[in-house]
Amino acid sequence: MPRRRQVPELFGGQPVIAFRQEIDRRRFLTAAAIVGVGGTLAATSWRDPRALAQASMSDLDILNYALTLEYLEADFYRQGLEAAILEGRELELVGPIADHERAHVEALTDTITQLGGTPAELPRFTYPDGTFEERDAFLSTASTFEELGVTAYHGQITAIESTDLLAAAAAIAGVESRHAAILADLTGGNPFPAPVEATRTMDEVLAAAQDFIEGSR
Amino acid sequence: MGLTRRTLVKGAALSIPAATALNLLGTRFAGAQASDFANDVEVLQYALTLEHLEAEFYRQANAAGLLSGKEADYLQRIGADEEAHVVAIWTTVEQLGAVPVPPPGVDFGQAFASRESLLDSAFTFENVGVSAYLGAAGFISDPAILQAAAGIFGVEARHAAILGSISGRQAEGGVYMGATETPLPRADVLAAVQPFLTGAGGAADEAAVTS
Repeated sequence: MPRRRQVPELFGGQPVIAFRQEIDRRRFLTAAAIVGVGGTLAATSWRDPRALAQASMSDLDILNYALTLEYLEADFYRQGLEAAILEGRELELVGPIADHERAHVEALTDTITQLGGTPAELPRFTYPDGTFEERDAFLSTASTFEELGVTAYHGQITAIESTDLLAAAAAIAGVESRHAAILADLTGGNPFPAPVEATRTMDEVLAAAQDFIEGSR
Repeated sequence: MGLTRRTLVKGAALSIPAATALNLLGTRFAGAQASDFANDVEVLQYALTLEHLEAEFYRQANAAGLLSGKEADYLQRIGADEEAHVVAIWTTVEQLGAVPVPPPGVDFGQAFASRESLLDSAFTFENVGVSAYLGAAGFISDPAILQAAAGIFGVEARHAAILGSISGRQAEGGVYMGATETPLPRADVLAAVQPFLTGAGGAADEAAVTS
């Protein structure tokens, strides 16, 4: 019987209800109305104009934010694989990650366009000297990017208004979690840092990412 | 029926063509059964049943003495995560004024006959769990619960990837399941775990989660 009476150290160390009360009321009402339950879900699809109408400016902002992070990851892995510093099982495990990040860029770009938005421009990226010269530096940076990406997606979960976009973002976020776990394993880190994924705000993520974007600081 | 339901974890067959990932997802998500869950408590009870099953699986797995070194360490941590999920969801259900579903009766068959069968079963549970959470996410209306469910979903994906890796599976279709995770509707998930639910407790729980 796994039941325990203690309150678990989850949700930022706060009991669920306390955590819940921190949610902005306006956001709560908006999300509750749009995420909805079965009926709402079944009514929305990409072919349904109502689904498109749900895409708010803020959803487009979030999509472009995600796109910028995926651009960074895709560029990073492309350079890392071109540098040919991995071999064997490590190469086998990292190769598909590059494919996934490129697929995420394509999917997000297409989605933003379909929703009538303008995809963010591809930034010029810069990395610390030596990043692509040896395995340790490359995989260590990769691990940092993956953990950053996971917390970035999870930080937007309650901000996304469209059910379809929420599903898509979650489907991508799960893959980033897989990447993060594998890179932690490859670099001697902890693949399971917490029972629930952590979150970062957009400001926190962009502050970390801008070190890698030329001209952003 | 095999110990693991490979038909539900098809590996590479589940990967999604890159450029159309989001479009496909939207379509398939809309194709979920609209009646799968009526409210947040139903989603939570469903998740709780799966977490009970996983937690009990790892309790038995970690007591079987089949693993050593890093593998044993990883499965201990995964088991601890599943227990944390049980406690968190149980507490949340209570706070919402409902009675949490109790742990089902389980029988993992020959899962603990060998290291390989243990890891194989764990791999299947984790990947079904990932898809179960994704399939249920759209039915959650409370943003705090959605945040927590998404956070648990991500950790299940970490478990799935590591289990794929330590059991030596191919990267794509073993460690990763494509560029996006794939949701499963409730009926498919329940069909996948059905072989492991037994006895009066199992039947009662099954009734609870399928009612």
